[in-house]
Amino acid sequence: MSDNIYLPSIATVTEVRPETSDTSTFVVTFDDAKMRESFTYLPGQFVELSIFGVGGCPIGIASSPTEKGFLEFCVRAVGTVTNAIHDLEVGDKLGVRGPLGNSWPTEDVEGNDLLFIGGGIGLPPLRSLIHYVLDNRDRYGAVEIVYGARSPQDLVYKQELKEWEERPDVDLYVTVDAGDESWEGPVGFVPPFLREIDPSPENKVAFTCGPPIMIKLVVEALEDLDYADANIVTTLEMKMKCGVGKCGRCNIGDKYICRDGPVFTFEQLREIPGALEG
Amino acid sequence: MERKKIRKSDLGLWLDRIAEEYELIGPTEEEGVIGFEPVDTSAALKLDYTNSLIPPKSLFFPPAESLFSFRKRGREIELEETKPMERDRVVFGIRNCDVSSLSLLDAVFGEDLEDAYYLERRARTALIALACPTPPRSSCFCTTFDIDPLSPEGSDILLTDVGDVYLVDVTTERGEGLVALSGDLFSPLSADEAQELQPPPVQMRKLDVSELRERIEALWEDEYWEKLSLPCLGCGICTYVCPTCHCFDMVDVGSTSDGARYRCWDSCMYSDFALMASGENPRATKAERVRNRYFHKFSTFPSRYGTGYACVGCARCLVHCPAGTEITQVIEDILAKEEVSE
Repeated sequence: MSDNIYLPSIATVTEVRPETSDTSTFVVTFDDAKMRESFTYLPGQFVELSIFGVGGCPIGIASSPTEKGFLEFCVRAVGTVTNAIHDLEVGDKLGVRGPLGNSWPTEDVEGNDLLFIGGGIGLPPLRSLIHYVLDNRDRYGAVEIVYGARSPQDLVYKQELKEWEERPDVDLYVTVDAGDESWEGPVGFVPPFLREIDPSPENKVAFTCGPPIMIKLVVEALEDLDYADANIVTTLEMKMKCGVGKCGRCNIGDKYICRDGPVFTFEQLREIPGALEG
Repeated sequence: MERKKIRKSDLGLWLDRIAEEYELIGPTEEEGVIGFEPVDTSAALKLDYTNSLIPPKSLFFPPAESLFSFRKRGREIELEETKPMERDRVVFGIRNCDVSSLSLLDAVFGEDLEDAYYLERRARTALIALACPTPPRSSCFCTTFDIDPLSPEGSDILLTDVGDVYLVDVTTERGEGLVALSGDLFSPLSADEAQELQPPPVQMRKLDVSELRERIEALWEDEYWEKLSLPCLGCGICTYVCPTCHCFDMVDVGSTSDGARYRCWDSCMYSDFALMASGENPRATKAERVRNRYFHKFSTFPSRYGTGYACVGCARCLVHCPAGTEITQVIEDILAKEEVSE
């Protein structure tokens, strides 16, 4: 059979970087040289990672297509498969199936200022686009990044946050729900933090990813700040098996998050019955 | 192609000839249950039946199938695709509700990012449909969805029982090839026979579902779903016997060093169907799951694929639901409900 949509490609873990107590970045490279060359993707797409004998799960690609030869995934150990992924060491192999889903609207937002709002492990899918934008810096306007986590220990990409902090062309705002003795930054939840920052909606598109309750309150804040629904973009998650719109699991209305998403604008989501419930 | 006839007593000869060339699959009876199974000889077939318990979608989208196997050698992992089938197949005796369901499943599995397992089975399987007995089962309501139990549409050949002979309508080249295997058993109809040999007209309950989609779409927030879900046991039998349900799970069997990835039927009626590892469950309640199922059949499936409703009126779900929920009653409730609020 040609073009078997269910058959993963084998890849090798080349690096594991612990991010938090339960979350690590896994850098992987396809074993097949042709696959390393031909695998292309857009920021916002995801893959199904397989640990053979355990199962598969959808994971967003945290690296950017401007970074060649490897893929990065930021994985929290929360279920059967993600715990098995955490057992992987450098040199171990896993399956990668994809890229799947649509992408952040990289072309549509060229020339715009960009506002990224991430919560906890919601930063990695945004990071793919952030890297893409920073690697194509002249095509995009100002970049603001608002990020929060439960505690300083729960911030992912700590080293990278420092690098973004130092860049003159990035405005970074980081908060934590609860600080510790060493934390000197802002303390508080992301949505009120965002209201304090009060970013202008002028010529700006907002991208947000995080826990559902954070997204809900962030969108309320953005609307109060006069952001149009069409300029608020998010990426959804749901349980998935096939990742290609067949297994019937991840639907909202007549859309499959795996095929028609995971990226949607709030203008789109308001048209779908049940999409904004819960 | 011109209508032919074959004597009932010759049917077995023809099917046995087919079985020499193809894998022959047809209705069989085991412990009182009718199912579509491969047979070596036509003698194993059961001809007086209404329909199978499990729909013949299972021949194209099996309840469980290996997609690929994996084997670990040291750190290396080898994958081997599982072939979906060996010999080309002929399915005898499929009913038109189930033929129609295949065109709906084609829309799902044939949508871009095609499902090669399903499509290969579809491409390499001929369908010899058997017109339904008249009168049909009292529970049947396929004509509600404009399915004609006597139509040759969607199959390669349709046989219609008219007493001592079957009328034979061949609609495809593949069907002509099957007839040609035993060409001498088939003969044209005389002018008189063409007049006289007609099946009795089908009488079946038929609901007017022309406005079903817009009416169910108005009921998203309605308390009806809560009420409808109260007797539901969440057993999933409605999805298991449904010829249009296509939800599946993907499961690894074996060990991490030697095993296979299977695709297995799953059910949106199960509480953990959409439950994520995080604990989030977008359809945590029975009412949400029941609503999702009927919305899928009558709103989101037709909307996504541009087809008719994802129900073919086979009545399997209403016959087998242990809680007595009847989809025909649900349709009537939906239609009536909107009228009240108008």
